[in-house]
Amino acid sequence: MLGPSIAWYLGISALLFGVGALGVLVRRNPLIVLLSLEIMLNGANLALIAFSRHAGNGAGQIFALAVMAVAASEVCVGLGLVVAIHRRRLALDVDRLSELRG
Amino acid sequence: MTVDDFTSLLIWLPIGAAIVIWALPLSRYATGSLAVLVSLAEVGIWIEQAARFDFSRSGLQFSQKATWINDLHVSYHVGEFAFSLWFVGLTVICMAACTAYGFWVGRDRPRAYFGLMLFLTGATVGVFVAQDLLLFYAFFEGMLIPLYVLVGVWGGPGRLGATVKFVIYTMAGSLFMLAALIAYGIHFGTFDMLSGPVSSSRWIFLGFMLAFAIKSPLFPFHGWLPDAYRQSPPEVSAVLSGVIAKAGLYGMLRIAIPFFPDPASYYRTLFLALGALALVYGSLLAFRAPDMRGVIAYSSLAQAGLIAIGLFSGNTLGFDGAVLQIVAHGFVSTALFLIAGTVERRTTTDQFALLGGMARGRPALATLLLTTGVISLAVPGSSMFAGEFLILAGAYQRAWWWAVIGAGGIVLAAMYMLRLISAVLHEARGSTVSDDALDLRPGELALIVPLVATLLVLSAWPAGITHHTGTAVVETSIVTP
Amino acid sequence: MTAGAWLCLFAPLGGALAITLAGTRISRTVAAWISTVSVFVAFGGAVWSFFGLRAHGSEHGSLTTAWTWLESGGLKVGLTVLVDPLSTMMMLIVSGVGGLIVLYSIGYMQDDPEERRYFAYMSLFVFSMLLLVEGGNLLLLLVGWGLVGLSSYLLIGFWHERPAAVAAAKKAFVMNAIGDATMALAFFVLIAHTNSLSFATDFNVHMSSTATNLVALGLLGGAAAKSAQIPLHTWLPDAMEGPTPVSALIHAATMVTAGVYVIARTHPLFEQARTVELIAAGMGALTLLIAGLIALVQVDIKRVIAYSTMSQIGYMFLGAGIGTYANGEFHLMTHAFFKALLFLAAGVIIHAASDEQDIRKLRGIGASLPWTKWAFLIGSLALVGIPPFAGFFSKDPIIAAALHAHWYGVILAVVALIGAFLTGLYTFRLYFIVFGPGEARTDHPGEGPWTMLLPVGVLSVLALVGGWIQFAPFWTPVTRWLAPVAPTLAVAEPTDWQDAVASILAVALGLTGIAVAYLMYARRTVAVPSRRKLQRVLEHKFYFDEAYDALFFRPAAGLARFLRDAFEGPWFISTPTELGEDTLTVARGVRRIQTGLLRTYVLFLGTGMAVLAVVLLVVK
Repeated sequence: MLGPSIAWYLGISALLFGVGALGVLVRRNPLIVLLSLEIMLNGANLALIAFSRHAGNGAGQIFALAVMAVAASEVCVGLGLVVAIHRRRLALDVDRLSELRG
Repeated sequence: MTVDDFTSLLIWLPIGAAIVIWALPLSRYATGSLAVLVSLAEVGIWIEQAARFDFSRSGLQFSQKATWINDLHVSYHVGEFAFSLWFVGLTVICMAACTAYGFWVGRDRPRAYFGLMLFLTGATVGVFVAQDLLLFYAFFEGMLIPLYVLVGVWGGPGRLGATVKFVIYTMAGSLFMLAALIAYGIHFGTFDMLSGPVSSSRWIFLGFMLAFAIKSPLFPFHGWLPDAYRQSPPEVSAVLSGVIAKAGLYGMLRIAIPFFPDPASYYRTLFLALGALALVYGSLLAFRAPDMRGVIAYSSLAQAGLIAIGLFSGNTLGFDGAVLQIVAHGFVSTALFLIAGTVERRTTTDQFALLGGMARGRPALATLLLTTGVISLAVPGSSMFAGEFLILAGAYQRAWWWAVIGAGGIVLAAMYMLRLISAVLHEARGSTVSDDALDLRPGELALIVPLVATLLVLSAWPAGITHHTGTAVVETSIVTP
Repeated sequence: MTAGAWLCLFAPLGGALAITLAGTRISRTVAAWISTVSVFVAFGGAVWSFFGLRAHGSEHGSLTTAWTWLESGGLKVGLTVLVDPLSTMMMLIVSGVGGLIVLYSIGYMQDDPEERRYFAYMSLFVFSMLLLVEGGNLLLLLVGWGLVGLSSYLLIGFWHERPAAVAAAKKAFVMNAIGDATMALAFFVLIAHTNSLSFATDFNVHMSSTATNLVALGLLGGAAAKSAQIPLHTWLPDAMEGPTPVSALIHAATMVTAGVYVIARTHPLFEQARTVELIAAGMGALTLLIAGLIALVQVDIKRVIAYSTMSQIGYMFLGAGIGTYANGEFHLMTHAFFKALLFLAAGVIIHAASDEQDIRKLRGIGASLPWTKWAFLIGSLALVGIPPFAGFFSKDPIIAAALHAHWYGVILAVVALIGAFLTGLYTFRLYFIVFGPGEARTDHPGEGPWTMLLPVGVLSVLALVGGWIQFAPFWTPVTRWLAPVAPTLAVAEPTDWQDAVASILAVALGLTGIAVAYLMYARRTVAVPSRRKLQRVLEHKFYFDEAYDALFFRPAAGLARFLRDAFEGPWFISTPTELGEDTLTVARGVRRIQTGLLRTYVLFLGTGMAVLAVVLLVVK
């Protein structure tokens, strides 16, 4: 087995995921929230690839590719929304987008 | 087309006609005429079937089977037993009368209205001929959709509450039935009602019975009944109590009792007691109800209770009596609701306090209401009497007190029905009854007279049904304790 | 002879249907004649079957089935007519007296705007009554039983704009429905034990004595309700709200005597349940006494006759209960003649006095109705049982039979003799008041059209000579005719001296009653005894109505109202609504979780996942 043990990969992955989650929770700018989401996804991707290599099975890598595709489309939609919000001259602040409050 | 196709034709002809009516921009007159013609064609097809039915054979006749959902072993399987034939006959005749009544009074939004009535006809026939549990369920729920709209759109002032109550009650029951029939189907790997084995699961039995007890309705499950019968248009009330509610009793006869003989005999006393309660409770409330529809509604509750007593007596007398009673009461309550409708059209009300004295100068109305009324209170010699007699003779063999309670019900029935007859027809003229309120018009006579005539024929020859019920099919599966 | 029976049965039904279907297309007179002819055709059929049966010999009854009426399991009940001595006798009485009364109605109902309906109902009644007596099995008997109750309801309530008439009609129907129900229960017992309802078989099958007693009790309940025997009698006096010919036909001559027919018809069963049969006899004795007492204070001419009817049916029950069925039937026949006569004569009076029925206001009306006076006198003498009028020949053998039947028979005979005295008293109280001196006069001259007078005349003759066909113990053709179906029990075969004693005592007491009535009401030399309390009890008819109202009607109505207000309303009408509202309230609370802030959602998501993870770990 080459390279560091799987624990290191998982550590980095968890760190990335945590940073992303924190960003989603505390930041108010939708752009930054999207960015943080990407970081979370990449954390997950890292874990998938690490496990894939660890188990000697290609499935994890395939999943990672699928996640990337989903992430890309998600960014498209997200950015589209951001642009739409901006066009309607609304504040770029997720806390103020609370029309769904019950 | 062979004669076996007639069963499917009975289901799909009205549904097809409904789709045609919805799709084509026909005039009011054309729509109504088409609907009435189709419902009369249904009656014709049924008569042809009845004429060709071989009562000497006990099995399923006019049956058709085709694969529907292969993986689950669900099939489109329809056919008729002798007793289903009577249920179908009740359905097509009453639906024809009620559709024609809708045409006669000129319901607004005719395309929607007549389409729904036709759809309802097809779905109801489907319930009575389906020989596959999932198909049965589909038709059972299919009846609900048109009723929901018919009550909710064309009903009286309180129609929304009544509709919601009715739909929620019956949906709740149906969901238990769905769960029960899935459990049954998964366990035995078949949904077929002809080859399906008997089950001894009490939970599955109770799931089915809950749905049927709500539909019939039996005593504590009748919350939907007074509102629905009071707020619907009269012909829809007629359909509800004359035909739709009978689907619940049919379910007991065709599914709950024969497929679950052990649970049915385990819970026999419970359901006999619920039937007896419905009989006494319904009769007492009918005796105090302040309006015509209230009396008919609660008397339907009482009759459903009586029929349940017959079904759960679990012997030939009880089954045959129940089938006759279901058919006879179906015609009686249809006729009574339609007559109530004609009274409401003349006086704008069905409150007893505002009615009275309608017999003078209106001989046709008086004769028809009186005839239907006395048949309904089971005067000896009437078809209702024959049914009650057999049911109670069967119940007596179960235990004497059921027969005693039932006989008490006969006396109570006399009290509430005579009260209705007198309150509408006799004594001083009510404040809403004007002198120029007409007697029944030829159009109305053409609707109601055939129903009453059918009842009179059944009174002259009740054995026509009781001897041709084919309930032996149901009985053979029952383990008598 | 069977064809005659079928003709007899269906001619009146055809008449009723024809009048109903023709509606206003035929005139009133035509409707009236259709009805009359249909009933007389029935009489023709009855005569036909009577002579047919005579030719065959009365022991050869025949049973023919038109079609199977009801069939289920092993139970098979046909639409069957029975031609045997008992049924032909009843057919003759019903259609003969019925025909006369329907004929009488043509004159009586002449000015009524709804004459057609009346005649349709009358024909329907005759059909139902014939079905009752011709029905060849118990179920058909019950069908006729119920249908006569229905026609009685329709005819009592014929003047449906009068609240009293409608109430009386409903009361009659419901009381009879109680009787129908007990009879039906009796049949359920029979079905359970024998799986058959035919007259022939059930009575030979051995049932337990409890079952036999129950069946007999159920039949007796039906008989008592229909024949207005205590305690199910309260409907009969009220039934006088109907037109007078109806009272004559249904509530005197035919329907109310059906109870006696049933006991005679099912006597083998009653004999196996001898206790119940004696209860019937006791019931009859009690009724004849109480009805006789109440009749003393009534002021409505029809109600006096109605109570007298109850009392006379009491005699018939007594006879049938003791076991002398033939004499019960014979009294039924003569009673049909003279009681129909009394009612029809009363009808002439009421007709002449423009519907006045209070005897205090009718005082002296007899002066303008000479023929009616004679007819009424004949009817009254026949009722009291003065020889040679009909009642004498039929009532006294019943008392004699009772004298012979053990110690209880003697008690019953004594009661019947007291009844004979009361009969003389109340009958002639009525006679002397109405036909004595007074101011009342008729509004229009004459005693009515020939259609009314002819039946009164015929019935007067029958009330005079109708009893001569049997004079026990010298000649007894009626008893011999009925012997194949209803043989007299040995215990009820009186010796000759018992016959003599009974006759002498009964006639003497009847004459005493007449004499007392003469002194009190005609000569007025003896004051009418005044006992306020007793009088009030009698005027309230022993408080039966009040007691039933308090015991049954009020509790039932109260229970119904309680169920509606305390149960149906809150539990079944409101509860679903409240359930819906509660759901809304809960939803309003749950709504607060939905903040609209992204971070809260994420937090929930995260928390949820964490909880799930922990749960999964723990479960593992």
